[in-house]
Amino acid sequence: MAHKRKRKRVSLIDAELSMTPMIDIVFQLLIYFILTFEVLDDIAHLDVYRPAPDAEQREQMETPNVLRVVIYADGFTVNDRQMRLPEIERTLGRLAALDRDQTVLIMATAHSRHENLIEILDLCAKVGLRNLSVVSMN
Amino acid sequence: MPKARKNRVSDAGGINMTPMIDIVFQMIIFFVLTVEMERDAMDERIRMAMSPHGPLVEQRDPRTVTIDVSDRGEFSIGRVPLSGQQLFSIMRNTVGIHGQSLPVVIRGDLDANHQHIKNAMDLCTQAGLYRISFAAIKQLN
Repeated sequence: MAHKRKRKRVSLIDAELSMTPMIDIVFQLLIYFILTFEVLDDIAHLDVYRPAPDAEQREQMETPNVLRVVIYADGFTVNDRQMRLPEIERTLGRLAALDRDQTVLIMATAHSRHENLIEILDLCAKVGLRNLSVVSMN
Repeated sequence: MPKARKNRVSDAGGINMTPMIDIVFQMIIFFVLTVEMERDAMDERIRMAMSPHGPLVEQRDPRTVTIDVSDRGEFSIGRVPLSGQQLFSIMRNTVGIHGQSLPVVIRGDLDANHQHIKNAMDLCTQAGLYRISFAAIKQLN
């Protein structure tokens, strides 16, 4: 009897909360989340003005004086002159120095890559031009 | 009996674990929350073009609709693939609820032909939306 009571007391002391399994699990979770964690890239949103589809032709007719950047599958032209990106940047920079609210008409052909359009929009953002009109042509 | 007890106390009392566990839980909570946000936002199949000078997205209109356009011209919103017709009816219904000032972000793959981007933009403008912007990566982290 005395022996029995003694054993019971010992097991009561054993029943203290054991942290080890919990810490094991918590570290497992932590390692999982650290490994799957990815820092998000910074995203920029480039605002453009898009004329309604039926207004497209009218827009082109009405504004003969704006700077017209055309994006082809294999290059760019600015007011019908073929240019590369650094040259376009200088041209846009000169325009921005005069008037930042001047409209730039960006015309993209159907087979041009989206990346090229972003490149032009990025240059416009760099020099500070705000009124960007994106139209599509065939 | 007193001897056994003394032993036990020195076993458990060697290191105080409480602050460590606090920190570990903080870290787990941080990672759980940030992982969830990332999953909502991104479709990793679309590779965005770089725009190092573009304006950083700071305060985002909560109504913003992001349309993903893949390199093959497939539309999707929040990873749900949509046909052009479905996209148009969704945009028209959304305009009915939130009005035409709803901002639209087009997240186009850098290899997508402009034709596909044009289709997405035309569907938006036909639905009456005029606040259109393109998403690009400002900085890789």
